Amino acid sequence: MARSKRPRRLHLALHVALLPLAIIALLGYVGSVLWSIRISFSSSRLFPRTDWVGFTQYERLFETERWIVSLNHLGILALVYILGVLVLGTLMAVFIDQQVRAESWFRTIFLYPYAMSFVVTGLIWQWLFNPGLGLQSAFRQMGWTSFTLDWTVRPDMVLYAIGLAMIWQGSGTTMAILLAALRGVDEEQWKAARLDGVPKPRYYLSIVLPQLSPAYATAFVLLAVALVRTFDVVFVMTSGGPGDASEVPAKFIIDHLFGRNNIGLASAASVVMLSTVFAVLAPLLYWRSRVQARLAAGH
Amino acid sequence: MKLQLQPVVAAVLATVAVLAAPQAYAQKAEVIHWWTSGGEAAAIKEFASAYTKGGGTWIDTPIAGGGGAQARTVMANRTMGGDPPTAAQYNYGRQYEEIIKEGLLNNLDDVAAKGNWDKLLPEKIKNAVKVDGHYYAVPVNLHNENWVWYNKAVLEKAGAKEPTTLDEMFAAMDKIKAAGGGVVPLALGGQGWQEGITFRGVLLATGGLDLYNKTFKDKDTSGPGFRKAVETFKKLKGYVDPGSPGRDWNLATGMVIEGKAGFQMMGDWAKGEFINANKVAGKDFGCFMAGGPKMPYAIGGDVFVFPKSKNKDSEVAQKKLAEMMISPAMQVAFNNKKGSIPIRTDVDTSKMDVCAQAGVQAIKEGRLLSSDNELLSPDAKGAFEDVVSKFWNSDMSVDDALKSMTVALKR
Amino acid sequence: MTTTTTAASIAPQDRARPRPRRPWITPARIGVYSFLIVTAAFFLLPLYVMVITSLKTAGEIRQAVLFAWPSSPQFGNWVEAWSSACIALECEGIRGGFWNSVRLVVPATVLSVFLGALNGYALSFWRSKWGDLLFAIMLLGAFVPFQVMIYPLVAWFRLGGFYNTYWAILVVHCVFGMPVLTLLFRNYYVAVPQELFKAARIDGGGFWRIFLQLMLPMATPMLIVATILQVTGIWNDFLFGLIFAGKENQPMTVQLNNLVNTTFGVRRYHIDMAATILTSLVPLAVYFFSGRWFVRGIAAGAVKG
Repeated sequence: MARSKRPRRLHLALHVALLPLAIIALLGYVGSVLWSIRISFSSSRLFPRTDWVGFTQYERLFETERWIVSLNHLGILALVYILGVLVLGTLMAVFIDQQVRAESWFRTIFLYPYAMSFVVTGLIWQWLFNPGLGLQSAFRQMGWTSFTLDWTVRPDMVLYAIGLAMIWQGSGTTMAILLAALRGVDEEQWKAARLDGVPKPRYYLSIVLPQLSPAYATAFVLLAVALVRTFDVVFVMTSGGPGDASEVPAKFIIDHLFGRNNIGLASAASVVMLSTVFAVLAPLLYWRSRVQARLAAGH
Repeated sequence: MKLQLQPVVAAVLATVAVLAAPQAYAQKAEVIHWWTSGGEAAAIKEFASAYTKGGGTWIDTPIAGGGGAQARTVMANRTMGGDPPTAAQYNYGRQYEEIIKEGLLNNLDDVAAKGNWDKLLPEKIKNAVKVDGHYYAVPVNLHNENWVWYNKAVLEKAGAKEPTTLDEMFAAMDKIKAAGGGVVPLALGGQGWQEGITFRGVLLATGGLDLYNKTFKDKDTSGPGFRKAVETFKKLKGYVDPGSPGRDWNLATGMVIEGKAGFQMMGDWAKGEFINANKVAGKDFGCFMAGGPKMPYAIGGDVFVFPKSKNKDSEVAQKKLAEMMISPAMQVAFNNKKGSIPIRTDVDTSKMDVCAQAGVQAIKEGRLLSSDNELLSPDAKGAFEDVVSKFWNSDMSVDDALKSMTVALKR
Repeated sequence: MTTTTTAASIAPQDRARPRPRRPWITPARIGVYSFLIVTAAFFLLPLYVMVITSLKTAGEIRQAVLFAWPSSPQFGNWVEAWSSACIALECEGIRGGFWNSVRLVVPATVLSVFLGALNGYALSFWRSKWGDLLFAIMLLGAFVPFQVMIYPLVAWFRLGGFYNTYWAILVVHCVFGMPVLTLLFRNYYVAVPQELFKAARIDGGGFWRIFLQLMLPMATPMLIVATILQVTGIWNDFLFGLIFAGKENQPMTVQLNNLVNTTFGVRRYHIDMAATILTSLVPLAVYFFSGRWFVRGIAAGAVKG
């Protein structure tokens, strides 16, 4: 698209309009990141200090087992949560798309968890998984004596319990995104596929879902943002336990920021976490912007 | 754009009117605390009513969560933001150490001189609220975290003797285990801070005051005493049910109340749960101190600090608050409702129950101990509890635990 | 774009009509319904536990039988949670925070959605180097842990002199809503044909006129999605309300937290659950009544990537 020189009046209007964005992006986000980086090189405890201690905080960070463990957990949760939501969301969207009755009821049931904050739903999930209190004890009392669901008290399974609670909360919105995209798929394709004798599942898998890749991309970004911010559910459901078996970076950072009066260490942890996320996502976003530039160029 | 004069004049007149108002209404006191539940609120109501009766206005700012962590977060941010409250609750310890260092708190030397705090307060409590020779916090009560609570009926049924020391408790728990019937010997809420309390209780029981100070004051974990404490601590795991991780402390107390468990190691706030369930001390439930009858009382409990502010009136309000909170009448009224012990020894404690009397005795005999909260930085305390929790919940070896604990203590 | 609007605006039952009648009970349909019903049960389970717990007495809760139906449902718990539950010295329940939350959510949503739409519009139709850079910063900024931003924001507000006021919390919600909203609107506007924009320019439209009279009304489906997301997010926010709003503007979630999270006091789970359900009613209602538009709105916008 050939862009002619804009008259000064419009130039001004554009800049005025982008002012809030600029202020927030620069003062808020860039400023905070720069401030964090600065603090991570100081010995700040509860209040910021302006001394320099080199990489001491980072050294200490990587000597702290709880931090290393939390990074591993974030990786595991990334797989469980993002894959889980994408798969479940796809299934829910596809099945609802089959012209079921009471569609709006199903849709509401799948969407409502997102409306509730984890402060109390996390506690419910903790109770559900507790062997003496929740589903395990209920099923055993009903006669199914070998039923076991004690994930939250087992260090090796607790992350999956948290993942499940997160999938419960997040699948609805992904389903909505995918359902909307499904509704945009041309009806004729199904007729053509039927004539060719393609069974419905094959049809969805090979023909429809690939067309939904922009929707999947959007869902993925939103899920990744939610994942990195994961804090409430862990805090309320397991407090990072048993031991540190369900610790996550965001919780580590918050605990050290104000609970342990150590903003220096917390800032170092934030910088590390941010760098990791950027390292993974920057290439993805760059690729996406290239794709969009190509699309836009087609206008 | 013409400036309208009328509203401006009106505003100026109104401001003048407010400034000229009688001083009584200027003594507003905004108090941050985390006592939101019924029993706790009844206690702070005593303070609020007394202050209001004295002519001031009490503005209540409760902030629950995290055992005070949320309140401290808000306090730190409001101080940074230039809008601090008149008074803020803290626990005894080093949480407010940095705020003092930054010069953000008013000292209470005038009030202390008037109330003769130097003579009035027990030595250890004085040390807890005095920094560099100046008083910065007013102590309002004494809590102890190292109590053990038990259900009398459960013990009787299992044929166990009611213990007064940790060793006797092991014997009793063995009897409960043998009696079976699904009763859990030790009800534990598997959260870091509860595991920490359990550990410190074992520490006191194993080596008393000397071991406690050696560990938290000298940061020295060498020696057989500490090792024995760590091993004994892990021994307790055999008496805890598998559903313990993540459980809230009060659900564990509930287990003891309902007879589903025999013992719980928890602070004296657990008494509130028993009382709420209409259980009577000495009849339905019993209590003893984890370290035995002569155990030193590790100082726990609450203090109030008073941030500096641009507003001169707040200083007057702060002094009134401090005086009121430490007065004999208020100490009795507040602590009766709270279930804790007054920090003054010159008040009437005869109406307190059996468990509280033991604490009063400890003060009288001078068996007070600076707690780990005071001896360790919040960071070190947290790191230490991390290791304790990891050791409890995994198959970490005793040697590894010892190593990690030593590192943590030195934060 | 046309296929999308056609497909999305025809209700499911209408789409079925032109097809020949098929028997409804086929293995495939049984499979579909079973899956949906089982999944729905999974989703409803926590809500069920929450509701029955809110109707129990303290004694029943202490007995800790999670799924037991209360012997006699105590609807009084709900009344107590709303109007007389004690939070520290005040025994007014959580209703006080309700109006504070409303007072906050409405302007904050309007402002943040407006800014998001404005940014999306400016970034997609008025390409500029600065714009693209800011957008990239914003997108990466979405991943900054918000706890880390608290101290810097407090410091900025203190400089501006409006810390702990209504404006502070308003600005905070705009700050944290901006990345996702900008992303959503930008994606939406990118899918709008440039011809429309060029035509408007030729007609003499300036920056603001095109936005306010053409592009903003055109983005109605996305406006609805953004509004729903913001209403939910801002209503459920707790931490920022706690730190930035000041006492007079304390939202309902802060009160809920005070009610639910006492550490050393007696915990009354039945009242806690009732209070949580009451607090969640607003976002729940929003989802219940607008779920349909939520899906339609996303259909018209976000899916184009």
